[in-house]
Amino acid sequence: MFGYIIQGLMWTVMITVASFLLGSIFGIAVAGARVSSSRIVRICARIWVDVIRSVPPLVWLFLVYFGLAELGIRLTSLVAAILTFSVIASAYLGEIYRGGLAAIGRGQIEAAQSLGLGRVDLFVRIVAPQVFRTVSPSMVTYGIGLMKDSALASTIGVVELTFRANQVAQNTGEGLSAFLIVGLIYLAFSVPLGIWARHSDARASQKYQVG
Amino acid sequence: MPDQIPHLKAVNICKEFGQVQVLRDVCMEINSGDVISIIGPSGAGKSTLLRCINLLETPTTGVLEIGDFKITIGEGHKKASKKELATLRRNVGMVFQSFNLFPHLTVMENISLAQRRVLGRTKDEANSRTLELLDRVGLKEKADAYPGRCSGGQQQRVAIARSLSLDPMVMLFDEPTSALDPEVGAEILTVMRELANDGMTMMIVTHEMAFAREVGDRVYVMVDGVIVESGDPRVIMSEPTHERTKQFLSAVMGR
Amino acid sequence: MDLGTWFGYVAELLPGLVNAVKLTGISLGLGLPLALVLALLIDNRLRVVRWITIGFVEIGRGLPLLVLLYIFYQGLPQVNIVPSALASATWAFTWSAAAYATEIIRSSIRSVPRGQTEAGNSLGLNERDRFRYIILPQASRIAIPPLMGLSIIMFQLTSLAYVITYSEVMQAAYFLGTTTFNYLPVFLAAAAVYAGVTIPASALVTTMEKRLSKHL
Repeated sequence: MFGYIIQGLMWTVMITVASFLLGSIFGIAVAGARVSSSRIVRICARIWVDVIRSVPPLVWLFLVYFGLAELGIRLTSLVAAILTFSVIASAYLGEIYRGGLAAIGRGQIEAAQSLGLGRVDLFVRIVAPQVFRTVSPSMVTYGIGLMKDSALASTIGVVELTFRANQVAQNTGEGLSAFLIVGLIYLAFSVPLGIWARHSDARASQKYQVG
Repeated sequence: MPDQIPHLKAVNICKEFGQVQVLRDVCMEINSGDVISIIGPSGAGKSTLLRCINLLETPTTGVLEIGDFKITIGEGHKKASKKELATLRRNVGMVFQSFNLFPHLTVMENISLAQRRVLGRTKDEANSRTLELLDRVGLKEKADAYPGRCSGGQQQRVAIARSLSLDPMVMLFDEPTSALDPEVGAEILTVMRELANDGMTMMIVTHEMAFAREVGDRVYVMVDGVIVESGDPRVIMSEPTHERTKQFLSAVMGR
Repeated sequence: MDLGTWFGYVAELLPGLVNAVKLTGISLGLGLPLALVLALLIDNRLRVVRWITIGFVEIGRGLPLLVLLYIFYQGLPQVNIVPSALASATWAFTWSAAAYATEIIRSSIRSVPRGQTEAGNSLGLNERDRFRYIILPQASRIAIPPLMGLSIIMFQLTSLAYVITYSEVMQAAYFLGTTTFNYLPVFLAAAAVYAGVTIPASALVTTMEKRLSKHL
């Protein structure tokens, strides 16, 4: 049983990591759109993010997997899962970036500008490092959430951890053992990372207190 | 001088925060009705000393005597029991720099709460005593207002009334006017002056040099956790003997 | 697909919505009081109590809700306990809600300014009175917006109860899909139902946040 179940970890990790990476990258575009100088772009981005966050991931998953199939686009369950979670992640991570950006006082940006720093330099050397340090704990927390969401992929047939545990439960009736194993595997990731994230959050807010 | 039982006595109070020694063998003796001011540069440990006296901070070692309450602190000595702490805090009132009024309670409730829960007074007893105190600080009409609706000066006066509501033996003031505009600060100093004239024993950490000189019976100058000089305020402020006192006074008063 | 038929689909999903709201209500109704207890137990003197509480919270937070649901519905039968769909959903959702709410409550308590505790201390109030009259009222006000946010999240999570055949929105949508074979419009209808509740609710939370921060 254990051997069968543990193979699911590979799929769980694949979904989580791929969605997180794609989401982090596209999240930058989302954040950029949210603070764009064009009002139309800002409003569209706001609607995009709000709609994505107002509908449960399971529904999006089904829309992508079953719904697109009706339009002739048949995706494998793995691709559907990664696609869905990447888009959702880009919305959430985009908001996390935006929050981190807002936390950087205007004063810093103005000081850098008056020193003659160009826009790119300003971004790369001053804004980005600070935003990154501030939002890392939130990003890790989101990553943990993403790993938990990956369990949803079991409903469309991806053979990850939860799917396999379910199979064992249905075929052998030893559901409790199966889910205990799976539970421990999830906890092995989420608990240490969670502790790190909460610890870092507390430290980050102390470290950069000025004045 | 006739035998006066000192109201408050602190012996060899030491306080460490980690590696930093904030208070070094501070000793003080205060008699009933004394008004003493504690002055000195920032970080000298003045606030910490005050907070050690009502045990908001626990000294690392030392002996504290207030009225009937006596405690020796340090290795090998028992910690103060909850009952002892409660007695101590009933007898020592504290007024904070940032007022610390309870924002979700009205002025009346702010002042009656401790009377009812700590002293066991009935609602009527507490309320009537509260109105007396509010009258004394000139805020009777604000009884049903929330702190958020009161100005800074009014809030601090409510805070003073709140500490007085337990009929304490000693009142501690931790920079009571530092968070207020000068004119407003003057209101508070007036209330404090009246309290002093009524015979309250007071310990005041302050930057208000004029107040310390005119109202205080004694002034203590603290620098780096040590009392470097103490005595009659008029004498010390015009002719300080200790080098650090001279430095501090010249910086503060521009001499 | 004409609009009339589509709205018909939405209407068919509404009974499921009622069940979803019911489940949300139950899980919070049980979970929030539990969370308050847990928040206080975490600082208990006895190490055993602390560890059990922390374990309960970490598991409720660290496991996917889907797995929690399955543990009750598919797992317990192994030891001859066979809970119904509603029972499984209740236990799993309550556990999860309580776990998240505990952190919100602890954080709210920590957010009450230290000066308040000091003032209470210097007035001689004991710990129980300080908590009851000074800390708890203020912490509650601070906790309301995040707890409302949690409610919205729990509402969205009720979609998971579909996998254990609890008849909420997704279950209704699935049946509708299998009878009409129009999965796309049906799931879009489901999305609309969720968004229709979540978007106004989130706006309400934002308004409450602004109002509450003005008062204090």
